Amino acid sequence: MSKYILKYTRDERVKYVSHLDFIRLFHRAVRRSGVDFLFSEGFNPHPVMTVAMPLSVGVTSGGEYMKVGFTDSFTEEEIKNRINCALPPGYHIESVYRLKGKEIDLTKINKADYTVMAELKKGAAPCDIDRVLASDSLVVMKKTKSGTKPSDIRPYIYALDEEQYADGVVTYKMRLACGNDYNLKPETVISAMEETDSGFRTSFLCIHRDRLILPGEE
Amino acid sequence: MYYTERDKILMQVQKPTRYTGGELNACMKDKDKVSVRFGFCFPDLYEIAMSHLGIKILYHTLNERADTYCERVFAPWTDMEQLMRERNMKLFALESGDEVGSFDFLGFTLQYELSYSNIVNMLDLAEVPVYAADRTKEHPFVCAGGPCAYNAEPIADFIDFFMLGEGEESIHEVIDTYIKWKNSGASREEFLHMAAKIPGIYVPSFYDVSYNDDGTVASIKPNTEDAPETVRKRIVTDFSGVFAPEKIIVPFGEVVHDRVILEVFRGCIRGCRFCQAGYVYRPVRERKADRLLYLADKLLSSSGYDEISLSSLSTSDYTQLPELTSSLLDITEQKKINLSLPSLRIDNFSLELMQRVQKVRKSGITFAPEAGTQRLRDVINKNITEENIIESTRLLFSGGYTNVKLYFMVGLPTETNEDVSAIAALAEKVLSVYFEIPKEERAKNINITVSTSNFVPKPFTAFQWEKQATRAEMIEKQDILKASIKSKRIRYNWHDDKTSYLEGVFARGDRRLSAVIKRAVELGCKFDGWNEHFNFELWMQAFDECGIDPDFYTARRRDYSEILPWDHIDVGVTKSFFIKESEKAHRAETTANCREKCAGCGAAAFKTGVCYE
Repeated sequence: MSKYILKYTRDERVKYVSHLDFIRLFHRAVRRSGVDFLFSEGFNPHPVMTVAMPLSVGVTSGGEYMKVGFTDSFTEEEIKNRINCALPPGYHIESVYRLKGKEIDLTKINKADYTVMAELKKGAAPCDIDRVLASDSLVVMKKTKSGTKPSDIRPYIYALDEEQYADGVVTYKMRLACGNDYNLKPETVISAMEETDSGFRTSFLCIHRDRLILPGEE
Repeated sequence: MYYTERDKILMQVQKPTRYTGGELNACMKDKDKVSVRFGFCFPDLYEIAMSHLGIKILYHTLNERADTYCERVFAPWTDMEQLMRERNMKLFALESGDEVGSFDFLGFTLQYELSYSNIVNMLDLAEVPVYAADRTKEHPFVCAGGPCAYNAEPIADFIDFFMLGEGEESIHEVIDTYIKWKNSGASREEFLHMAAKIPGIYVPSFYDVSYNDDGTVASIKPNTEDAPETVRKRIVTDFSGVFAPEKIIVPFGEVVHDRVILEVFRGCIRGCRFCQAGYVYRPVRERKADRLLYLADKLLSSSGYDEISLSSLSTSDYTQLPELTSSLLDITEQKKINLSLPSLRIDNFSLELMQRVQKVRKSGITFAPEAGTQRLRDVINKNITEENIIESTRLLFSGGYTNVKLYFMVGLPTETNEDVSAIAALAEKVLSVYFEIPKEERAKNINITVSTSNFVPKPFTAFQWEKQATRAEMIEKQDILKASIKSKRIRYNWHDDKTSYLEGVFARGDRRLSAVIKRAVELGCKFDGWNEHFNFELWMQAFDECGIDPDFYTARRRDYSEILPWDHIDVGVTKSFFIKESEKAHRAETTANCREKCAGCGAAAFKTGVCYE
């Protein structure tokens, strides 16, 4: 038995599946696939499985990771194909990698790339990004376990670009802090942009996580 | 990367996966390659609809046809409905996301009377005319089936045709007929004439109903030669061999019954006199154990579920139960799958079974004595004695169980205050059984829950002529029981009188109630089965505005000679049998079950099942 790193995507068809529902769904898919989970020891054994960074409801992704324990009855390629056949359409395993030791540590993920389509309110204009990036600080109210606190998100925006503007929809590319140390959501960045540039007002956001980034992967 | 107008509202509602479809094993088809689009409508929330067995059968049997695309259509929860109405979005099907107004069929399943308002609301949300008479060739045919279809007169004005009885065979005849009709280019009405000739199909507009001055039905007469005098329900003759799905849709979110369900048999041998299901599903037909094991294997491996349960009325009566459960356990133990057992008659066999199944947790056990005294249990023909209950609970308590639920009804025919307070006495006796067991042999924290529902007389039962208890009487009985329960270890739950009253009105209602339902929906009634939405005052306003007294349907005892609104429907069990059972009930005489002795109910006419064992 070994631990495996699975890289997977999810598209529009399943973007409303919550994190907990995804875990249940993945358990069932593995059960259907014939691949054997590694079960935890203890009173109430459960499959050994850790999702790197849960996706929010409504968000699609081009590159998510999880670490899963399987028995070694199949090759990486077989595991990939078997689970892909068992997943509902919209989820897809891109690659399976058998860990030899601790060469990949998903808890070290610290950045993510996003594409955000922002629909503008009537009369609003795309954000003046230079002004946002020129700000020394961008303080937003951030929910934490001990209540809502002010937090400066500026240091956690590593890149912000306008990719396209057409038919009242602006598409932004962002590289943001993501992981256990600091997690910045694209929608938080958009509201900070609205704060900074009052001409920028959005009515709907469509968010795609392009990929999760490990240190040294940039 | 893309989004649609629908995404904008899905981000604002609770549990958006109720509305997105795309689950594992959902059928996706090319709509241009089919001739029939069928919207299978369940007039309740996704989580309820997806727990229902019938939809799984009919959905998959229809989708096995290359010419038909069956999709699911459920009632949006109020948050979703509000956003849809604000944006003028119409009711859509889960698979394609298409609006259902242009479908060929919308087929509603009628599981309980309190979902009628949702049917009207869904039609309205689909922009399909609510009254069948107002539909044209542009509109779908609206059909309905399920247990409430046996007396669906209250919604007769909304439905083009009903499918009576078990639908997995007749639905194909309907589709075949429809395709013939569609190719012929005949009028909309012509299809109904063709459908009326299919056994089990009831077209309400082909029957004229007239009323006496006192409000009772004077006559129900077909107004066309194509409609039979009486419509007989359909049943599946070969239940073991008939189509059963080998895959089921697996919802993303948790639903009420989130597991594989194995239907072991249909019907019930018991003949409880209040129980409509026990009569209308006659005769009992079993599925063979090896067929069930085959289905269990297919369903588990195609769904990935880690739980499986057995489904039927009175599952203890399954003749192959020991073989089935022991083979099932071999599969489930090996695959780490939970077998969840239905309520079984408690004896050494079932106790051992429960112990094997629930190695760790000892969940609660439910008994349904239904009435507090032996006399009243004889009246309702509920074949369970106080001795059974006492002996069973003794076994349970010695086996370490401490949660016992006891289900009763109040308001049963011939019930006295003594019968009601005897419920408390029975619960106290169960409690004393627990204390008789030495401390070291019993588990701690005994917990007895007594629940009462209010008896609602149903059509096609021995009690279809009975007066229903008034709301005041129901409350009085509940109060008597509350006062009679002395021990703090016995908890008492009771069912709301208002919903029981409304259920009673619709259960034995007639066509004049369609107007009331329409009006109630206009006033805002929906999701009446949900406490947070049920609005009794609005319903009473609707009755009042339509000039209909709801007490007419509940508060009087009917004569055997009265023409009942459902007299043109034939479920196989004869009216003379129901009269005989009704009289025996009033004499507190019991009737043997189908396997002990045939009572001659009439269901043998179907030439199958227990009648020919």
